[in-house]
Amino acid sequence: MISLRHITKRFGGVTALDDVSLDIKSGERLALIGENGAGKSSLMNVLYGLYHPDSGDVTFDGQPVRIKTPADALARGVGMVHQHFTLVPTLSVTENVVLGREPTKFGALDLQRARREVDATCAKFGFSLDTGARVSDLSVGSQQKVEIVKALHRGVTTLILDEPTAVLTPSEADELFAVTRKLSDEGLAVVLISHKLREVLMFSTRIAVMRRGKKVAEAIPAETTPEQLAELMVGVRVEAPPQGASATPGATVAALERITAPGLRELSLSIRAGEILGIAGVDGNGQRELAEVLTGLRPWDGGALHFEGEPVVRWTPRAARERGVAHVPEDRLRRAVISDLSVEENASLGRHTRAPFAKGARIDFETRRAHTTALLEANDVRPREPALRVGALSGGNQQKLVVGRELASEPKLLVVVQPTRGLDIAAVTAVRELLREQRRRGCAVLLVSLDLDEVLELSDRVLVMYGGQLTGEFARGQFDERVIGRRMLGILDA
Amino acid sequence: MRELRGALPSILSVITAVVVCFFAAALTRDLSTAVDAFIAMTWGAFGDWPRFFETGNAALVLRPLGESATKAAILTFTGLSVTVAFRVGLFNIGAQGQLVVGALAAAVVGAKVDLPALLHIPLCLLAAALAGALWALGPALLKLKRGVHEVISTIMLNWVAVSLVDNWLVVGPLRATSSGDNSVSGTDQILASAELPRLLGDVSRLNFGFVLAVLAALATWLFLTRFTRGFEWRAIGLSQDAARASGIDVERGFLEAMLLAGAFAGLGGAVLILGTELKYPASLGAPWGFDGIAMALIGQGHPLGVLATSTLFGGLRAGGTRMQLFGVHKSFPELMQGLALLLVAARLMWDRLIARVWRRKESP
Repeated sequence: MISLRHITKRFGGVTALDDVSLDIKSGERLALIGENGAGKSSLMNVLYGLYHPDSGDVTFDGQPVRIKTPADALARGVGMVHQHFTLVPTLSVTENVVLGREPTKFGALDLQRARREVDATCAKFGFSLDTGARVSDLSVGSQQKVEIVKALHRGVTTLILDEPTAVLTPSEADELFAVTRKLSDEGLAVVLISHKLREVLMFSTRIAVMRRGKKVAEAIPAETTPEQLAELMVGVRVEAPPQGASATPGATVAALERITAPGLRELSLSIRAGEILGIAGVDGNGQRELAEVLTGLRPWDGGALHFEGEPVVRWTPRAARERGVAHVPEDRLRRAVISDLSVEENASLGRHTRAPFAKGARIDFETRRAHTTALLEANDVRPREPALRVGALSGGNQQKLVVGRELASEPKLLVVVQPTRGLDIAAVTAVRELLREQRRRGCAVLLVSLDLDEVLELSDRVLVMYGGQLTGEFARGQFDERVIGRRMLGILDA
Repeated sequence: MRELRGALPSILSVITAVVVCFFAAALTRDLSTAVDAFIAMTWGAFGDWPRFFETGNAALVLRPLGESATKAAILTFTGLSVTVAFRVGLFNIGAQGQLVVGALAAAVVGAKVDLPALLHIPLCLLAAALAGALWALGPALLKLKRGVHEVISTIMLNWVAVSLVDNWLVVGPLRATSSGDNSVSGTDQILASAELPRLLGDVSRLNFGFVLAVLAALATWLFLTRFTRGFEWRAIGLSQDAARASGIDVERGFLEAMLLAGAFAGLGGAVLILGTELKYPASLGAPWGFDGIAMALIGQGHPLGVLATSTLFGGLRAGGTRMQLFGVHKSFPELMQGLALLLVAARLMWDRLIARVWRRKESP
């Protein structure tokens, strides 16, 4: 058993963890829930040796242990899979998994043996992975599997998963939960950091709730309800958001006409002003490519893209932005923000050459500061420090900044991919409301999400993608989860 | 305050390098010789202030400062060359070649064109900047059109420039037309109208080149921090993907930065020719372009950091010649530069050290 006892951790003036005590027992599935910045990840980072507590200690079976580095943690059987992956994209799955403890033959890497061993680990825990594939060729969901296999391959006895399902498809999530159940049956402790109450209730044997750096409650899933947990997490009752009134769509804003590109096969669809068009599908079926085509990031080989009725010629990210396309991309740290720039610099990205961010060729520092301060306020980005490095913000706050920034341009077409990935309940509600507001304003919204509930909740119309093509179209009122689910798997019923 | 803390690794690296070199000198000679040599180097770099106060002879201060400044100017330009490319994420190893063609262009225009100084000097500078930019244009286009890595292409073009200029043009078609002298090397002398004006008359070789270098560093700094295009460059350098997704024209940024990099290196060549050499000589004296890489790295890609680094090492080099009087080799300043570069590269070491000291200071 691992015990965290009276852990306190401060960053500057902020107390991230305030006298938190928590036990982790072998064979249990512990869910650690709380809002963004509640201290869940911080607590687990203490256990994983990434943070050193200011006070309090960690014991393994009653013995106090100082964990200084992740290597120390791994040596004690504690593994952690982070939200942001730590894989080498140019290496294969096998190479990534064995990295750091490679099997060698005559001093050289024995890749064949490595692959056999990694295959064995995958088989043992029920993962289906092409261990010879390059990581950069894998979908986000598969990359996460590699991260988990990496930890398992090191023989961990305690596995911490930081928001693992944020990137998984429903079936992949089910697969993950089946795997974790198997792990705990074999005596491993699994810790799940999550925002999603439903999966927490489904997954865990015990739940610990954190709020503002403190552990506020522990619960057994059978004895609690989502409403109770939500109240414990945020302190106030969160009501399910109302279903928006059905939209009255206007003119077609963008239309794809038999677009063929890597990942897309003769795809035709149109998006109208004042509607939220949801794209449902299992990860890796062309949704990402569709978003990239619309935002100018991906050139196409055949077909045409029409914007406001005219075929577009040179469709670059700049051209798209100038025509009124805004983009909330999936991979925030790669495409939406630049970690080493300040919050205000990031707030200006994309519109940095125009007012309020620029005056002629020069940066307008005063109005940029004012605009950013207002943006942080309006979107509840914390802390409200425009000069802070964006890399110092939590993922949820980065996302709120990105969404706020993109909506501030009053776009005609808004392309959002996985907009609520990794956000807490309050932020999810806020982001979804912002999307509805854009629709009311007459904006065309294309929503790509792997969270089918999200797609169904928000969309006026749902298109299902499979293999780079459309396999179904559903208007609000005709949503049938089972039919949509089959179409997502490419099953077309007669 | 934050900027100062950012500069700490470089400052500590330089201090460590100087101290290590001092002990190396003390071990190879003896302690008192090393002390004398390092004092001589310091006076040679930044002026012999004690003797100046004793005798009141301003030349004791102004002459060494002038020597330091002329070297500092060239280092600043090549350092800026590497820096501007660095800020968009490109590694310009080609400053040497760009400097060579820039120097030649300045020498040719300086010698062959006859204009009043007010026009002649700018024309020479322009020619040098264009030549340097042209030399960088190739690698930039190869990168954009064919994906050729700029490190490879700029390195190779260095040797093309040296072969073309030093081994052919300067000893062949452009060799000085002998005018009575028996042995002339290099190209024709530039005309007086092309010489960079000396700021302190004959007492010191301090010339307008240093002023240009300071202005260039300041302008680069202002450009990067105050202008939207400078912001775009920084964004590209930090994350190409995010910059592209934000509608920034990444390719254009690459092209512009490489052209400016070439122009800066070319201007370094011009300052060398128009300020001190007064013709394209048989030898340029130092691998100024390669030293620019060290300046950019020790200066941490900050234009003012590059200026400070260049001023320091320009000075140490100028002063280094005086070490010879004590039997200590004049290449010690280069040794310090190399060592400082090595230590700056060990960035993580400094970050940890500084973080530890900082924490101790904060906790009661």
